[in-house]
Amino acid sequence: MHDFPIWQLGPLQIDVATWIALLVSVIVTFVVARLAVRNLSVDNPSKMQNFLEWAVDFVHNLIGSAMPLNRVKPFMSLGLTLIMFIFISNLLGLPFGIVTEPHHEIESLGITKEMLEHGHVALAWWKSPTADISVTAGLAVIVFVIVHFLGLKQNKKHYLKHYFQPYPIFFPINLIETISKPVTLALRLYANIFAGEVLISTILMIGWYGTPFLIAWQGFSLFVGAIQAFLFTMLTMVYISQAAIHDEAEHH
Amino acid sequence: MGWHWESTVIAMVAFGILYWLLSKYAFGPLFSIMEQRRQLVLEQMNTAESSRKQAEANMAEQKAALDQARKDAYDIIEQARTTSTKQADDIVQTAKTEATRLKDDALKDIESEKNKAIAALRTEVGGISVKIASKIIEKQIDEKSQEQLVNQYLKEVGSK
Repeated sequence: MHDFPIWQLGPLQIDVATWIALLVSVIVTFVVARLAVRNLSVDNPSKMQNFLEWAVDFVHNLIGSAMPLNRVKPFMSLGLTLIMFIFISNLLGLPFGIVTEPHHEIESLGITKEMLEHGHVALAWWKSPTADISVTAGLAVIVFVIVHFLGLKQNKKHYLKHYFQPYPIFFPINLIETISKPVTLALRLYANIFAGEVLISTILMIGWYGTPFLIAWQGFSLFVGAIQAFLFTMLTMVYISQAAIHDEAEHH
Repeated sequence: MGWHWESTVIAMVAFGILYWLLSKYAFGPLFSIMEQRRQLVLEQMNTAESSRKQAEANMAEQKAALDQARKDAYDIIEQARTTSTKQADDIVQTAKTEATRLKDDALKDIESEKNKAIAALRTEVGGISVKIASKIIEKQIDEKSQEQLVNQYLKEVGSK
C-alpha cells in the first residue's frame, strides 16, 4: 500500500495529502456554490441555481423528516454545508491519484534510509479528505459539540433528564450511547470512503484487465459517496433533533 | 496511515470556514431569493383569487342587471297591454253611449215632431170647425146656398 507524506513542521506532523485534499474540497465546494448563486433570479433561475435550489429542497425535506418543520430553518445552512462538503470530498479521491516514488531519503517527509532499504516506498499525494479518520473525526467532533451545545442551551431539562431514562441505572448505557454516536459517525464515513479507495488502488494493480471493474467500482463509489454524505447529514439532524428539540405533543 | 490530530483540527477549521463562507456568500442570498419567490407566488395567488372574486361579483352584477332589464321589459309590455285593453273598452263604451244618446235624441225628435203635428192638426181642425160654424151661421138662409157651401167646403178639403 501507499504511504502518505508527513511533513514535520516543528512539533506538528502535517499530513500533506489530507491538507491538500481538505483545501481542494473547500475550494471546490465554495466555487460550486458561488457559481450556482452567481446570477440569482426570482423568476428566471439559471440551471445551476435550479440545481442548488433542488439541493436546498432536498436538504429541507431531509431535516424536516428528523424534526418538526418549523424548527428546520436554523439548520439549513449546516445541513447543506455538510452534505455538499462531504459529497465533494467523497468524490475527490475517485478520478485519479498522484503517487511518487522517492529514491532518496527525505527527512522532512519522514522518508528514512531504513524505509528505502526495506523495499519499495510510494507516496500518495491525492485522496479524499474523508478517507482519513482524522478528518471524519473532526467532522464528528463538530457535530458532537453542536448537538450537546444545542441540547444544553435550548432543551436543558429534557436533555439532562434523558441520561437517566427510563431509570437512573441506565446512566452508563446512555453515556456509552452518547459517545458511540460521534464515533460511529466518523468511522462509518471514513471506512466507506477509505475502503473504496483501497479497492480502486487494488484494481489498478491488476493492470489493463481491471478496467471494467474499475469503471463499475468508480460508479459504485459515486453512489456510496452520495449515500454517505446523505447519511452523515441525516444522522446529524436526527441527533440534533433528539437532543435539542423537545416536542411537547409527543411527551406529556 | 495513522492518527494525526493536526488533521482533525485543520478539518474542523476548514469546515468552520466553509460553513461561514457558504452561509454568507451562497446560502444567504439563495435563501432570500427563494423566500422572495415564495412571497411572489403567494402574492400572485392572492391576486388571482381576488380577481376571480371580482369576476364573480361582476358576473352576478351583470346577471342581476339582465334580470332587471327583462323584468322591466315584461312590465312595459304588460302595462301596454292593460292600457290598450282599457282604451279599447273606453272607445267601445263611448261609442255605445254615443249611439244610445243619438237614438234617444232621434226618438225624442220623432216624439216632439209627432206632438207638434198633432197640435198643429188640432189647431187647424179647431179653426176649420170655427170657420165651418161661422159659415153655417152666415149661410143659414137657404138650403141651396147651404148645399153649395158644403160642396164648396168639401171641395176645399178634398183639394187640400
